[in-house]
Amino acid sequence: MIAPADSNNTLAIQLLGIMEPIPQNLRQSSAGKISSWIRKNFITSLGIFIVVLLIWRIVSVAQQDSYPIQYWAFQLINGLTLGGVYALIALGYTLVYGILFMINFAHGEVMMMGGFAGFFTLQLLTYLGWTNDTPFSSAISVVVMMLAGMTVSVLTGVILERIAYRPLRAAPRLVPLISAIGASFFLQYTALLMFGAIPHNYHKPSIFVGVWRIGETGIIISYTGAFIFVTSIIMMIGLYIIVQRTKLGRSMRAVAEDKQIATLMGIDVDKVIVFTFILGSALAGAGGVMLGLHNTVIRFNSGFIPGLKAFTAAVLGGIGNIPGAMVGSLLLGIMEALGPSALGLPTEYKDVIAFSILVLVLIFRPTGLLGEVLSNKKA
Amino acid sequence: MSKRLIVLLATLFVASLLLAACGGGATEAVVEKPAETMDPEMVMPEEAMGDVVVIAPGDPVRIGVSVALTGPIPEFGLDIQQSYELAIVDLNAAGGVLGHDYELDIQDGACDGDAATIVANGFAADLTIVAVAGGTCTGETLGLKPILQEARIPFVSASATNPKITNADCDICNRVALSDKLQADVDADYIYNTLGLTQAAVMHDNSDYGLGLAELFESAFKALGGTVLGELNGIQVGDTDFRAALTLVGTDSPEFIFFGGYVTEGGLIAAQMKEVGMEDVVFFSDDGVYGQPFIDAAGAAAENAYASFVAGDEIAEVNAEFDAKYEAAYGTTPDAQGPFHAQAYDSVNMIAAAIASVAVEDADGNLVIDREALIKAIRTTSGLQGLTGVLTCNDIGDCGAGGIQIFQVQGGAFIQVSGFGLD
Repeated sequence: MIAPADSNNTLAIQLLGIMEPIPQNLRQSSAGKISSWIRKNFITSLGIFIVVLLIWRIVSVAQQDSYPIQYWAFQLINGLTLGGVYALIALGYTLVYGILFMINFAHGEVMMMGGFAGFFTLQLLTYLGWTNDTPFSSAISVVVMMLAGMTVSVLTGVILERIAYRPLRAAPRLVPLISAIGASFFLQYTALLMFGAIPHNYHKPSIFVGVWRIGETGIIISYTGAFIFVTSIIMMIGLYIIVQRTKLGRSMRAVAEDKQIATLMGIDVDKVIVFTFILGSALAGAGGVMLGLHNTVIRFNSGFIPGLKAFTAAVLGGIGNIPGAMVGSLLLGIMEALGPSALGLPTEYKDVIAFSILVLVLIFRPTGLLGEVLSNKKA
Repeated sequence: MSKRLIVLLATLFVASLLLAACGGGATEAVVEKPAETMDPEMVMPEEAMGDVVVIAPGDPVRIGVSVALTGPIPEFGLDIQQSYELAIVDLNAAGGVLGHDYELDIQDGACDGDAATIVANGFAADLTIVAVAGGTCTGETLGLKPILQEARIPFVSASATNPKITNADCDICNRVALSDKLQADVDADYIYNTLGLTQAAVMHDNSDYGLGLAELFESAFKALGGTVLGELNGIQVGDTDFRAALTLVGTDSPEFIFFGGYVTEGGLIAAQMKEVGMEDVVFFSDDGVYGQPFIDAAGAAAENAYASFVAGDEIAEVNAEFDAKYEAAYGTTPDAQGPFHAQAYDSVNMIAAAIASVAVEDADGNLVIDREALIKAIRTTSGLQGLTGVLTCNDIGDCGAGGIQIFQVQGGAFIQVSGFGLD
């Protein structure tokens, strides 16, 4: 038998993949069996190791400073609101990926454009006195803002598709991706030039000013937070119905499956792709306006970080998969809100948590949480 | 194929984010590198000429400007830039220096150490730049500092308040603004003794300025006997949703939040506090938050919030005259734009006065400015009457006059409630 210290040593070496083949006598020992299993299932064992570490950390933090249950409920609500906005953006990523297998990195900027359209509409409506007149006119002004934001985002998305992506459709996959990153910068700096570097402040319409208190629990839900969550759920259900139940939705799924066969079946692929961009951009536009209403500020680079987060959420849920994007977004929002406290980290590390999740998902489950269905056809 | 592509891209993005995160808190050690690796040829001719700037007849005397036109305080940056420009207009109207006009080379320091590094390298490579006005923010100025020191270009900052900006080792570092050490002490004293609040939550934006001030405040407040609950709570500049961070801060039931940081984040924190059950918690912040953009960002939630300011020793009539000129030129009052216009105007005048004192005309009619003499002349500025009072630099380059003022938002405007000029 080998001394324990030695076997640890060989284990470490095998983890590094330096030593092989394993000596025959080691293979027989129990330590050897474990080590050979680890060698075969390196990724899985690394995953188990990380999960154990995380659980250990969460448990030890929970023992040290225990927050009341209301705190977690409160943060859960913060997270769901955040997740609702991510979902609206993530759906755009996932829809386009599903059809074109390309990541539209300018999608966050499409959202930002919608946010600006919403802002200027809000300015106009405030000037006209709609936003603070009666609850009815205030509600109407919100609807008008959303429509304005969605319209501008749709225009941006469609123009983007026509100019930056369609000419490159036959090019290798990396080319439209680079074009997308270029488009992202182009839109950002266009906004900088048009609207300046100064943050633009949304002044909430009167129906959105205020909060609900849930009994004596100390849990508070802001009207905008509730609005975001409910509206994003309704929009996601609407999108799901469009994709699953309508003729256009069926064509979208057909194009996603196989463009050439879809063409042979009489589907106008260009039309379907434009429609996909319209759907995704409209959701992003709505998301931009909601984010503006909730966080009360929009500026030229407002789309960048939410765009990256939404991309992370889409990958987490399984990119190309619509329910996946929804689940991934809500999960990401929750993890961002709860994660720092659960892990005993300062809240400024929430972005680190979000992007660590991206890395972990890509290592351990590249198809995402709900991505199994698509893994065969699109990998 | 596609999976690998995603992996690659995601990794790149995460890496870029990490780099960006590292860059945000640019320390002196990090930004010193470009100075060391600077192309020796760029410096050589300058040294060969014995460290003088020679300006041909008819050419302007060029002053570099690093100002935060993007980043967290673009309004304040624009205010400072416009005041610089006004100062130059006035100087040139008064005849410039020995027949040469002054000219600004305005660059966007973006309130950020990395951007400032690029700006400073540009100034160092441009042999016609004699001095720099700026930077606007602490992090930005710390980015300028090592490179300009190497290049022997003196700077005068109008608004960088962190104590690290000036020190005995830096002979080119000067500022008109007062130090955050003073600000933190006065704030802590006012909160503890006048407002009678003892339970503090301290937040900061992870910038050199915000974190620096938060730390100074923490130690000042503890020294008085106050309690700082939990750790310092950091947020990120540019973020817009602080509810999760504030919910965490709220679990300690603080009586007030002291925020070290800039106006946009400050406004959003003040607004979002009301949405997480902290309506009764006092919001107290600093000179990075003192300004109209805070009230615009926070809306109704700005009411009763406090902010302190590193005010100059202003003479009302002189400033009214400046305000009128500013409004005639730009269509807004300077106070609607940002708080540091008087300091900015003074910093350019301080540079110009020093240039005028060392500039000589040679036999060919060229204007000759000796860099070392200029550095000394700025540092020995004494008794210069400016908008912010009588400017006299001490041995480490703190030149500002005045004191700390504390303001409260009442009826949608900042009203001074305590501090310099009131008592």
